[in-house]
Amino acid sequence: MRSMFALALVVFLCAGTVWSQQQDQSTKGAVIKGRAPVSEEVLRVKLPRAEEADLSNGVHFMVLEDHRAPTISFQLIIQGAGGYYDPPDLPGLADFTAALMREGTKGRTSQQIAEQLDTLAATVGIGTSMGSQVATLSGSSLTENFDQLLTLATDILLNPTFPADEIARFKTRQRAGLIQQRSNPGFLAREMIARVLYRDHPASRVSTTLPALERLSQADLVEFHRRTYVPDHAVIGVSGDITMADARKKFESVLSVWKKTGAPAPTVSDPSDVSGSKVYLINRAGSVQTSLVVGTPGITRLSPDYDVVAVMNHIVGGGPTGRLFLNLREDKGYTYGASSGLSALRYRGSWQATTDVRSEVTGPALTELMTEIGRLRDQRVPDREFQAAKRALVANFALDLESPGGILGDHLTRWLYNLPIDYWDKYPDRIMAVTQEQVQAVARKYLDGSRLQIVAVGDGAKVADSLKPFGPIESYDTEGKRIGD
Amino acid sequence: MRRILRLAILVILVTTVPLGAVTPPKVAFTYTRLSNGLRVVISEDHSAPVFSIAVNYNVGSRDERKGRTGFAHLFEHMMFKGSENVGTGEHFVLVFNNGGDMNGTTNQDRTVYYERLPANQLDLALYLESDRMRSLAVTQENLDNQRQAVQEERRLRVDNQPYGRTYETILELAYENFAYEHSPIGSMADLNAATLDDVKAFFKMYYAPNNAVLSIVGDVNPKDTLARVQKYFGTIPSQPTPPVVDMTEPPQRAEKRTNLEDSLARLTSIDIVYHMPPAITPDADALSVLASVLAAGRSSRMYQALVREKQLAVAAGAQSDDSRGPGLFSVGVTVAPGKSAADTEAAVYEEIERVKTGAIAAWELEKARNNAKRAVVGTLTSSLQRALLLSQYALFHDNPEMINTRYQRVEAISTADLQRVAREYLTEANRTVVITVPKPPTAPANPGGAR
Repeated sequence: MRSMFALALVVFLCAGTVWSQQQDQSTKGAVIKGRAPVSEEVLRVKLPRAEEADLSNGVHFMVLEDHRAPTISFQLIIQGAGGYYDPPDLPGLADFTAALMREGTKGRTSQQIAEQLDTLAATVGIGTSMGSQVATLSGSSLTENFDQLLTLATDILLNPTFPADEIARFKTRQRAGLIQQRSNPGFLAREMIARVLYRDHPASRVSTTLPALERLSQADLVEFHRRTYVPDHAVIGVSGDITMADARKKFESVLSVWKKTGAPAPTVSDPSDVSGSKVYLINRAGSVQTSLVVGTPGITRLSPDYDVVAVMNHIVGGGPTGRLFLNLREDKGYTYGASSGLSALRYRGSWQATTDVRSEVTGPALTELMTEIGRLRDQRVPDREFQAAKRALVANFALDLESPGGILGDHLTRWLYNLPIDYWDKYPDRIMAVTQEQVQAVARKYLDGSRLQIVAVGDGAKVADSLKPFGPIESYDTEGKRIGD
Repeated sequence: MRRILRLAILVILVTTVPLGAVTPPKVAFTYTRLSNGLRVVISEDHSAPVFSIAVNYNVGSRDERKGRTGFAHLFEHMMFKGSENVGTGEHFVLVFNNGGDMNGTTNQDRTVYYERLPANQLDLALYLESDRMRSLAVTQENLDNQRQAVQEERRLRVDNQPYGRTYETILELAYENFAYEHSPIGSMADLNAATLDDVKAFFKMYYAPNNAVLSIVGDVNPKDTLARVQKYFGTIPSQPTPPVVDMTEPPQRAEKRTNLEDSLARLTSIDIVYHMPPAITPDADALSVLASVLAAGRSSRMYQALVREKQLAVAAGAQSDDSRGPGLFSVGVTVAPGKSAADTEAAVYEEIERVKTGAIAAWELEKARNNAKRAVVGTLTSSLQRALLLSQYALFHDNPEMINTRYQRVEAISTADLQRVAREYLTEANRTVVITVPKPPTAPANPGGAR
């Protein structure tokens, strides 16, 4: 296939300093014989930059060209329209608004929108999550159908009518969803850890409630849409088979009527701190596994510790080479998977480690999990493991070059958080400069044992006793109500 | 004695067709058979400094014998536990630490392993894949460890999930032939019964170069890559051809039906399956378009009728299998709270009857065609998707060129085809119905009582 990639790829090799083949190494769960031929170079790539401009209505506009396939995708990110800004008595309003925008506009019924999009095999999605500052309207289609896609997407963005009969149908489906989600152990765990880590902060909500759903009115939707779907703090990213000039012309013509309203920049606040380690047990009768989450307050995306915490997280829980996976699965056979992740937004987020283990090994698995967290605080990461982790993070960038959508996402992050224009160019150097001392210092700072919160979703009769050594237990039923401990 | 192996090269060159508005662009590749029987597909694409490699073995759960369900998948896990020159777990440690990603996956028909890596690590990938094809070295300890991991996978995906047992119940009821009657994850008892000798025998029989396809797509030079493939794989001896599994499924003469109680589920679900022909036959292609008409997206007939208008269901789906043997056309709906399962089931049949006798709109076919076009186009930016598809078409049909005719197959389907297959396959006698009914847990939900 002929390459039609219009992106200027700057690829260079720089000598790696790591992973000498001759040495033998054995980690818990893996044996490294060191005979396989590894290229010692770390393939470091420079991410192609997006072309950037401002539309005449002030919306920032980015285009990343990629002509390999005849498709175009875009996303419009609207700050201030996310679930973070739900009214306290109407959790879910941002989500309802996003979902119902495509259920009817001034010129099209719900059915017509569905039919037109599906016929073109084009997609328009509008979404947000509870706790997120932004709502995102994304669209994609074949190049040949892009004009039609844009017409439909703009109609949905600007002219939704929120018809009463569609709201009623939506409520019926949502009520069923509220019932269904309580059968999912992963949902129950996410709900509880958010409640515990974020208390009264907007990020503590992971789902709407039945009272909010019943209270929801057409007026609420119209007003939330009018107030928050404004261009004042929005950004558009386009990737695929289109040039900046073409894309700009097309978006200008459909969005010229979308004018700034003078809405102030949406603000956020940090959640209050959490202290006192506890175990939150959700009693799910009939569970054959315990879904475990260990979580703790984390950092913001703009924290100076961000890169160091990212390296730390990779070492302990970043996939199959992470210590949690190698220990809990490859060494002990307690689980199918164990990993950790970092949520870092404008407000202080969290770090969470998760695994699902058979009921009988709930105690031993949690012991290993806590031991791995303790090792990060108490022991310097061995040289080889440390270099490998950084190398993995940097070398993995090459794979991103296959997906311009992903690269565009990095540039959008850069814009949303006001990061420097060369932020991603310098990313490999920043990661390679992280030291073991820094990793140990952030582990001590953020993974303090007295702030770690434990959530366990499982069969209480089988697992409650094994959780006792880990702290005072609070028990809940699957509806989220406190029950006798 | 080591055989002297010579390359027998069958090269098919496909011309590159310019990107047009009508048909999706084609994928060019070379197709070669080494003298030990390993088939090699290489497709060059220098648009990103990345390549993907897939090794697709002609073995799946269809090849399992009674008493060893789940074994093909358990064996897949053993492939990461070390070979002569690669330590246990070293495979994935090396791939991830060098910026790549990887996985393996098993279904009824095949077991495929793949890696995606920066372009400078081609030797690493070839070494890792060839070493385990040549010399898997598994210990009892490793087998026990992965048996536990697989049993946790079963608990995670089946035993601890609402509707987890539904899929297995459908297969067991619908099929008479053992090959597809059991699910790839297998039973706990059979997983417990697997021995180290089973692992060794399975490896020898199925993990041979003549029973596999290797595909490489991405930032590689085909000629140089083929020479390296020959260097790493060329001396792995071939084995006798494994036995061919009889996939014959006797025709179903009457509806089969069962109710399944599920203590983890909260809403009733209805699953209806119909026997259908193997993939890449005209009838299977028509059934895939029919699934789109019935249930793809919000414009689909089932979503509009069952979910939106009648509000009998909260979700509705339909899909046709893509299997080598006799597959299933499946319809699944979740019944809305307070609605009757019987009414909902009747509404599903009403939609199916409407296809058989009523009009099918031009836009409904156009939708299926455009969706097929987008699916084809979507693989052009993923070296891994192309590697997986090329390996599968080569393994199942000895014809990787099928990657370039996917759109044309869908384009050829007419309304008459849809009605023909609906009448032929979506019949009462040909269907199996499983109703999963929520069952209150036997133990009280709140021991200790609400506070």
